[in-house]
Amino acid sequence: MKEMIRLSGLRKSFGSLDVLKDISFTLEEGSVLSIIGPSGSGKSTTLRIITQLEKADDGSLEIAGHTLFSSVMGKAVYARPEEERLIGLKTGLVFQNFNLFPHFSVLRNITEAQRAVLKRPKEYAEEKAMKLLEKMGIADKARQYPYQLSGGQQQRVSIARALALDPEVLFFDEPTSALDPELTREILKVIRELAEERMTMVVVTHEMHFARAISDHAIFMDRGVIVEQGSPDELFGNPKEERTRQFIASFED
Amino acid sequence: MQGLLLQMLEGTVTSLQIFFLTLLFSLPLGFVVAKGRMASFAPIRWITDLYIQIMRGTPLILQLIFVYFAPFYVFGTSYDRFTACIVAFVINYSAYFSEIYRSGLQSIDRGQHEAAKVLGFSKAYTFFHIILPQVVKRILPALGNEVITLVKDTALAQTIGVAELFRVAQTASSREFSTVPIFIAGIFYFIMNYIVSRLFAIGEKKLEYYR
Ligand SMILES: Nc1ncnc2c1ncn2[C@@H]1O[C@H](COP(=O)(O)OP(=O)(O)OP(=O)(O)O)[C@@H](O)[C@H]1O
Ligand SMILES: [Mg+2]
Repeated sequence: MKEMIRLSGLRKSFGSLDVLKDISFTLEEGSVLSIIGPSGSGKSTTLRIITQLEKADDGSLEIAGHTLFSSVMGKAVYARPEEERLIGLKTGLVFQNFNLFPHFSVLRNITEAQRAVLKRPKEYAEEKAMKLLEKMGIADKARQYPYQLSGGQQQRVSIARALALDPEVLFFDEPTSALDPELTREILKVIRELAEERMTMVVVTHEMHFARAISDHAIFMDRGVIVEQGSPDELFGNPKEERTRQFIASFED
Repeated sequence: MQGLLLQMLEGTVTSLQIFFLTLLFSLPLGFVVAKGRMASFAPIRWITDLYIQIMRGTPLILQLIFVYFAPFYVFGTSYDRFTACIVAFVINYSAYFSEIYRSGLQSIDRGQHEAAKVLGFSKAYTFFHIILPQVVKRILPALGNEVITLVKDTALAQTIGVAELFRVAQTASSREFSTVPIFIAGIFYFIMNYIVSRLFAIGEKKLEYYR
């Protein structure tokens, strides 16, 4: 099995606040990792460093065998900018609040990067976008603008937008937190289907049942450290650490 | 009467020259100023801020006089009134436009930049294709107000002796002991501004296709 992500010893602080203290995990191609943890534990920051929205302070990261940064004398040293860019194309990120481009139609939201970044021809990009929209069940929305869509539909467009660039690994940062329960189900279904197709994914979520059902591996983070990690059945069904137990219990209803 | 109208049309051409030349230089310069105002290097930010404060905190009429006469006192040479007038208008309007741009740029959600970055768009592509179109939509009303003010402000050029519409009207008025030329000038300004506001309304309408 190919290793998709190898992260080790990741450290990050914002000013005097140590947000990530020593984060390490690996993820194999075709598997799904879920990350849970209380607010402020550093889940988003971890995803944002891997997807290059933030810089690491220390640690090392390999994505699909390419080194984005490595630890040299206690400092993260990054690859050359061209290499960073190429690695960035291997990762995709789906945001909590979608971040669609409001001035582009749904179709153009999905074709723009294909054309401008990957230099794909218009016909190809549009065909690809339409296939993805069909898969998401919203092909009829192609000509509409984001504001005309429900939150669940917008999130499906943003997933299609990320998938259109054929990332090797896709990250989700609380993809359903801005949605009501019914729309949440729509999105979870889409992610579940991607998992069944063996898309490599990392999902930060507060949906415990969903996380347990779709992931191959689960991590519980708190205050910048990984408190516990293991198979979802162990982590959710029989957590070893007291903090994990408390956190998961707080979601039982 | 026909001679008067002809003279006033000539004045109008000068007013329009001031108007268009000011826009030509200050619209892009405003962006440079806005960038300076948002620079991460603090001294650049302070200097730009001071410049904007001075431009907004003192009358344009005073700035016109200063720009025209200061070189005379400093270097002992004077220069073309029209050039001085354009310089004064440009440095004044760049400051106002820069604040409009800045408010527009800062109103764009950070998520737009982040989504663009994650999708691999270059910085330039992100600015011109993702951010700028959204900024334009948001600042168009404020920009419209400022451009209308500019049409009226061109009348101030007469203080340093530029023969624009208002000066022509005033001269004619005192020569003929009549307020008619002033009234006609008012109609001219009104027509110019009517066109400007129609154009901005069309622009705003065109951008109504999204929210
Ligand atoms: N740009 C930043 N500047 C300063 N502090 C930041 C910044 N980004 C995040 N933080 C802080 O880092 C800590 C971790 O934030 P992060 O967003 O990674 O947490 P999270 O686990 O995703 O939480 P949530 O469940 O609320 O999304 C928080 O205390 C947050 O306030
Ligand atoms: Mg978060």
